[in-house]
Amino acid sequence: MDDLLREFLTETSESIAQIDVELVKLEQNPNNPELLSSIFRLVHTIKGTCGFLGLPRLEHLAHAGENVLGKFRDGELPVTPLAVSLILKSIDTIKTLLAVLEATQAEAPGNDEELIAELNAMAEGHLDHVATVSAPKEVHMDDAPVFPANVPDEHGFVPVPASETGKAQTASAPAPDAKKQEVKPMEELGTKESAVASQSIRVSVDQLENLMVIASELVLTRNQLMQILRSQKDSAFATPLQRLNHVTSELQEGVMKTRMQPIGNAWSKLPRVVRDLSLELGKKINLQMVGAETELDRQVLELIKDPLTHMVRNSADHGIEVPADRMQAGKQETGTILLNAYHEGGHIVIEVSDDGKGLAISRIKTKAVQSGLATEADLANMTDQQIMQFIFKPGFSTATKVTAVSGRGVGMDVVKTNIEKIGGTVDLQSTEGKGSRFLIKIPLTLAIVSALIVECAGERFAIPQICVVELVHASAHSEYHVERINNTPVLRLRNRLLPLVSLRRTLKLGEDKDSADTAFIVVIQVGSANFGIIVDRVFDTEEIVVKPVSPILRHIELFSGNTILGDGSVVMILDPNGVATRVGEIHAAESSAAKQNARQAQGRTDGKQSLLLFRACGAAPKAVPLSLVARLEEIDRKTVEYSDNKPVVQYRGKLMPLVSIDVDAKMAGEGTQPILVFSDQERSMGLIVDEIIDIVEDRINVDLSAQRPGFLGSAIVVGKATDVIDTGHYLAQAYQDWFGKEQEGAFGEDSLHRVLLVDDSPFFRNLLAPLLTVAGYTVTTADNAADALKLQEEGSVFDVIVSDIEMPGMNGFDFAAAVRREGGLWSGVPFIALSSHATPRDIERGRMVGFTDYVAKFNREALLATLQQTLSSVKVSA
Amino acid sequence: MKSCLIVDDSRVIRKVARQIFDTLGFSCEEAEDGKVAHAACLKKMPDVILLDWNMPVMNGIEFLRALRREPGGQTPVVVFCTTENDLNHIQEALTSGANEYIMKPFDADIVRSKLSQLGVIEA
Repeated sequence: MDDLLREFLTETSESIAQIDVELVKLEQNPNNPELLSSIFRLVHTIKGTCGFLGLPRLEHLAHAGENVLGKFRDGELPVTPLAVSLILKSIDTIKTLLAVLEATQAEAPGNDEELIAELNAMAEGHLDHVATVSAPKEVHMDDAPVFPANVPDEHGFVPVPASETGKAQTASAPAPDAKKQEVKPMEELGTKESAVASQSIRVSVDQLENLMVIASELVLTRNQLMQILRSQKDSAFATPLQRLNHVTSELQEGVMKTRMQPIGNAWSKLPRVVRDLSLELGKKINLQMVGAETELDRQVLELIKDPLTHMVRNSADHGIEVPADRMQAGKQETGTILLNAYHEGGHIVIEVSDDGKGLAISRIKTKAVQSGLATEADLANMTDQQIMQFIFKPGFSTATKVTAVSGRGVGMDVVKTNIEKIGGTVDLQSTEGKGSRFLIKIPLTLAIVSALIVECAGERFAIPQICVVELVHASAHSEYHVERINNTPVLRLRNRLLPLVSLRRTLKLGEDKDSADTAFIVVIQVGSANFGIIVDRVFDTEEIVVKPVSPILRHIELFSGNTILGDGSVVMILDPNGVATRVGEIHAAESSAAKQNARQAQGRTDGKQSLLLFRACGAAPKAVPLSLVARLEEIDRKTVEYSDNKPVVQYRGKLMPLVSIDVDAKMAGEGTQPILVFSDQERSMGLIVDEIIDIVEDRINVDLSAQRPGFLGSAIVVGKATDVIDTGHYLAQAYQDWFGKEQEGAFGEDSLHRVLLVDDSPFFRNLLAPLLTVAGYTVTTADNAADALKLQEEGSVFDVIVSDIEMPGMNGFDFAAAVRREGGLWSGVPFIALSSHATPRDIERGRMVGFTDYVAKFNREALLATLQQTLSSVKVSA
Repeated sequence: MKSCLIVDDSRVIRKVARQIFDTLGFSCEEAEDGKVAHAACLKKMPDVILLDWNMPVMNGIEFLRALRREPGGQTPVVVFCTTENDLNHIQEALTSGANEYIMKPFDADIVRSKLSQLGVIEA
């Protein structure tokens, strides 16, 4: 390409980018003479330069635009949104023309008579307003091959400050500023750039890349030398190598700096995008940008530019409401989109937040079901946070109507993929009605990353530090150890089940070592998924220079690259994303673990439950709700002791009674014995089982015909007849023996408190009744509200009523209202409601009808505590 | 060798002008605004100054007035660049001390004829 033409394209695109920004500013601040003259000058310069290069079409258009701008400047024309739209339209046309010029090196044929006529009409002040109302909509920003604004790589150049150190730059910038003010106050405008421009040279990006590669090689060699030096004390090379070390670091830093660009470059297009959108959508949007000067590698900058634009567009389109809705919601008419960039520990964090309506969980749910991404049952078990993640799935859009703005075929999935491709993460927080916040965390550069070096089966691997959440040292004797559920290793970490991946098995480096051995677990976070990678050793973190995987290995998704360590050895860099997808079952395990967490957190009981299947006392599988099981343990049979002829084991510094389902079963022989640990407050009980089979999700319809104590009955679980055991029965066995005295102490002085338990589910009645009995209450049960009320008529007296809310026939609210009726026998009896989901509205409603308290259904501890509290407060008040 | 200072905020125009002045046998300096040009002149007064009107920081006319007030600031021959939009500025430029004006776009022939009219180069 002609040198001059290239220069022209670079210069003009920079000017255009500046005009874009300044025009938007102008619209908000129409009387700023400095902005006006700056814009005028830029267009004027474009026109002037076109003349030299023989580009009549561009020249004419720029000329017409300049005319209008001249009238603005001289105050002959008011700056109206309409006029600005028209100017922007001409700028867009210029961009398109420039793009053609760049591609073909010749001006596009044709003319812009219509636009020029419009501009001239505007300049003469008699523009037919109707004619241009459509102006902003005709702006096809994305369809036209938009000329890159201030982006150098398209033509291969990037502006580089002649002096590379930041100090020199900052030192040179203020000086001219200070002098400038002496000259004349009106010249304060857009001066910084040009002042620096004289100290800048243009260097092709290729050259910089090349420099970077060479510097990286140097760093690696330096690392090797340093490694050698460490093993040789008192070497004559020590001092010069130390010096080399420093110089290399400085060189590397310097070269890195040349690749750095302020993130503001990626943002420069956004005010314009938001401005166009707000016009198009009839919204008032204020775009705030904080930290535009934050620098990052231009390669990264390029890659995040589109995702960012998309996210801002999304916020404007889906997030911010129209002014009327905002007023109604008690917000300011003008919505705010905030872009915030800052450095955080070797990464750059970009925050895109809006104060709009937030994500509509219910809509996401509907859409997820519609598009077959999840079933209703799946959704019921998910937390809101998990449901929100659906917006990152391919083909997902919650917009009820596809506007011209969204529905461009790019979804959040592409955003997420693009960001993850460069080793970044996207996090999402949203409150319905309050707004959404996206947090993007990306590495400063792709060339050098901080990585954790680990070893597995004698091989070393690097794991990018950005994904590493923490390291856990697991051993049989420590608090953390690797457990197995259905042969899948898991780690119990702060009350969450963390699925584990054995690197050894995944990479087929050999068989797993005995789980009793010590292992290091690298806890990884990829998106919203957490998992642990089991490795043999952990070394340290190192800054590594990423080298791409050679093509022959590129299809292996487990690796994202390789590097050379200080000792000269080549190691592979693990791609946590790849590991996560490769180990498919991790998703199943992860989601079921997550589901279980969700269940425990919220106590949801809609139909399906997690059941732990095990074998004990005969071949028929037994089941127990997983939520009742505190832990699964394997104990050494030799450690079983006998106290009062009952088996006990020392467990976490206490004696834990062991109960067997089969009364005659003997704990004999060697080896390990699997047990289920049930915990209640401080006390634990171990249920001896033969084998733990699986954890399944199923609905249980207990057939209550079981006659044997300890069994609720049989149910069909995953197609097999399964005995559902009565946990309460075994708890009672252990408790009566071991804790009976304590219980008496708690309530001993009073006559036994009488509890009426109303629940339609036999399962819950059978679970809770023994529990309450054990805790020292006299329990009467009723399976519906009508039966309970009959008891009232019969004159039964209770100290407290515990009732479910969701019941067929009369529900808990109506039941409470009936109980509270004036003059009723039970009108003064405390009423505790059990519920699986209590929204604040439910709680309010419950209070209105007279609930004394609310307890989540699965929370037995809370129930007991509430009962005790309620009864004692009744006693005090009585 | 005669010296020339090219003052224009557009790199493209500076490049074009430089090519022209090179062929005419000048040694060229460049400045992207009036302020930089002013500093350059204080260091060494050039023989010819090709001056743009519209520039950031300090525009052409301000530079010209400042220059002519400097000691020795009368010597350089100042050729003002203008476009048809700025026609009304020509008078202002000439009264402020410009020796000649030249319309954009210009080429080597136009520059040569202007300069020979001014006696800076031989015809």
